[in-house]
Amino acid sequence: MIPRRAVSAVLPAVLLAAAVAFPFWADRAQPYYLQIAINIAIFAVLALSWDLLARTGQLSLAHAAFYGLGAYASAMLTLRARVPVPVAILAGGVFAVALAAGLGVLTLRLRGIYFAIATLAFSETLRVITNQLRFTGAATGLVVPPLLGGARVAQYLVILAVLLLMVLVSWLVNRSRWHFAFTAIRANEEVAASMGVDVVRYKVLAFMISAFFAGVAGAYYGHVFLFISPIEVYSLAVSVGALVAPIFGGLYTTLGPVIGAIVLRAGEEVLRSTIGGGYLIIYGLILAAVILYMPRGLLGIWAAIVGRRRPS
Amino acid sequence: MLRSGLYSLAAVGLALSVGVIGIVNFAHGEFLMLGAYLGYWLYVSYGIDPVAAIPLGAAAVFALGAVVYRSAIQRVLRAPELNQMLLTFGVSIFLQNLAIILWSGDPRVASVSYKAQAVSVGPFTVGLPQLVVFAIAMTLTLGLYTVLGRTRIGKAMRAVAQNRLGAGLIGIEVERVYLLAFGISTALAGMAGLMITLQLSVSPFIGLLYTLKAFAIIVIAGLGNINGVIYASLVLGLSEAVVEFYVPQGGGWSEGVFFLLILLVLVVRPRGLFR
Amino acid sequence: MSLLELQGVSKAFGGLVAVAEVTLSVDAGQIFAMIGPNGAGKSTTFNLISGLIAPDGGRVFFDGVDVTPAPPAARAHLGIGRTFQVMQPFHDMTVLENVMVGELFGHAVPKSLAEARRDAEAICEFVGISHLMPRDVTGLGVADLKRLEIARALATHPRLLLLDEVMAGLRPTEAQQAVANIKRVRDGGVTVLLIDHVMSSVRDVADRVAVLNFGRKIAEGTFAEVARDPDVIEAYLGEEESVH
Repeated sequence: MIPRRAVSAVLPAVLLAAAVAFPFWADRAQPYYLQIAINIAIFAVLALSWDLLARTGQLSLAHAAFYGLGAYASAMLTLRARVPVPVAILAGGVFAVALAAGLGVLTLRLRGIYFAIATLAFSETLRVITNQLRFTGAATGLVVPPLLGGARVAQYLVILAVLLLMVLVSWLVNRSRWHFAFTAIRANEEVAASMGVDVVRYKVLAFMISAFFAGVAGAYYGHVFLFISPIEVYSLAVSVGALVAPIFGGLYTTLGPVIGAIVLRAGEEVLRSTIGGGYLIIYGLILAAVILYMPRGLLGIWAAIVGRRRPS
Repeated sequence: MLRSGLYSLAAVGLALSVGVIGIVNFAHGEFLMLGAYLGYWLYVSYGIDPVAAIPLGAAAVFALGAVVYRSAIQRVLRAPELNQMLLTFGVSIFLQNLAIILWSGDPRVASVSYKAQAVSVGPFTVGLPQLVVFAIAMTLTLGLYTVLGRTRIGKAMRAVAQNRLGAGLIGIEVERVYLLAFGISTALAGMAGLMITLQLSVSPFIGLLYTLKAFAIIVIAGLGNINGVIYASLVLGLSEAVVEFYVPQGGGWSEGVFFLLILLVLVVRPRGLFR
Repeated sequence: MSLLELQGVSKAFGGLVAVAEVTLSVDAGQIFAMIGPNGAGKSTTFNLISGLIAPDGGRVFFDGVDVTPAPPAARAHLGIGRTFQVMQPFHDMTVLENVMVGELFGHAVPKSLAEARRDAEAICEFVGISHLMPRDVTGLGVADLKRLEIARALATHPRLLLLDEVMAGLRPTEAQQAVANIKRVRDGGVTVLLIDHVMSSVRDVADRVAVLNFGRKIAEGTFAEVARDPDVIEAYLGEEESVH
């Protein structure tokens, strides 16, 4: 029997090596897989960013707003201001952060459902406005310059790096005092404040970090898939995906959102060929099913299985 | 302006479900959307005017609402609020995409015979369909108020809304009241959907829009305040009309008004304007 | 030396006056009790002291400093700690982690995780819940939850501890234990201000008592003094508790 500790030390390294080696193989053997992998990585970053915010009890139904704003800001900067693509992507993240800071402050006093409604309404409004403005290409959308000249392998490695960074941030947060602050705030803001937690600071910070990565993900999407429009990047599908992946995989963890993203996106590829436009229906079903029957998500099921195997 | 009638019909069901059951139904607009599709189908296949279809539509959507309640909603009544929210959100996604799969995402328009007719009311000319919608929507909304105020079941609902435990103690079957309230709330949404068929185009995406506007209205009225819905609808309708009129290219911008109102009210007077 | 001073503090909610011009002073090292019939304004006063709500009028002084504009977290750093009547432990965290929140954030100078953990363990020991430390908070009994509440508040190392109805629901032996614990806390250098309804415990533990009714302070003194006060007796007429 291989000792568990050896497995948990070696396994991530093996996975990482595989992830890095993957594009070189796929580029020659199955380029379409490479594209899917990039898509999954983007989605995983988005999912992790949502989860981070959710840890403070702020369940955003508006991550499409940050994703979309990042996409549009980055696209506009490269198109109109000739900013180099990598810089523009980062700038997209920064724009999203600015938006989050504003929205965060406005919604500070809103709890639970009120917060969710406000964010959803905000995201929808942003979509409608972008649809109107000729400045941003209105409903027709924008054609976006490629990152790194369109070299898929290089693009994949970049998003992998971003994903690893996000994973690191998520993991660090869960192991630091931030974890205590976030969890306390999520449980009860007033009690947390009475114990000295600076609730405002942590809530807004969580919002900003979450938005940054969501914005970068959106910007990245534009420069890899070369076209954005309001119906795509501001769509409810983005917001829904951002929340179903972590809930499905396992909330408030680092592994959960990643696993959720991989399973959902891969599954979506399969479904799109059969169901077409309404494939989101699966997300609705999964969300309902998780809430009703498996509140801890996939990781919870895994933990239950593992827990039962261990002698008590 | 006349749209306030439609809005109040769309919102009052949500207010009922929030007030009596205590659950914010994110899928509310989807029942409206399904009602609209039902109206479209009845008109296109059998020539039934959406107005005439109201009883049938209401019953059908009521039944659907009851099914959704039994299979999903009932189980999260005692769960944390956020779980309820996510569940109804999931139902909303499910229904919306079901519609996309069944009927495609293209908007459909049912052209009733009197669609283009206009009527003079005082100094104003208004489209006949719009007038009909307003009249019917207002009647139905006021009808609900009467039901709540005068009938036994209405009083039972109000009792449960005020004090669930107490209502149970005096013999009211709370579970049944919940089921009825939910069914009625979805039926109201469905009826509003039929009104949409009458004057506007039907697509799977209208559900979310009306859910959000209904939220705006019940937030303005104050959560759980069913009586304030009409006034709140007027506020929304008026604000949108003002923006459309005075802001250049206002048509697009007026779609953002509800969000502003939501934010404004939640930040400034979270208890609502009409408590 | 007065540690806490309320000067003419008032608060109304809509038309309802919850607290009306309450003036009160708690000296360092005292165990001070606030009693009064239901709805007298005691919990509101607590919220005014801990900073969860702001007064409409009057000022709150802590150790000579005007803390009226200070938010709850700042007051925690200054040394005001409190428990809550409706016990709300942080779910998704163990008992020890709940206490650690206080150690991590309750002080002006932040502690490291390791240090906070050690100090939290010491607090759990002091309060008597060491055996519960690794447990999830769901499913804890009332007495244990109360001890956790106190542990969480103590973890912020307060100079003034506000205890909100800690005796409620305790059996007589548990209540006696609680009284002894409160005295231990005071002997450790913490001033205590408590709200309670269990008169026997209040009599046993309090150095000084203030009585509130309809938002006003109607009497103050030792337990024996206020028990004899005719206004106090009248306020309690019809209440279940008899003031022996």
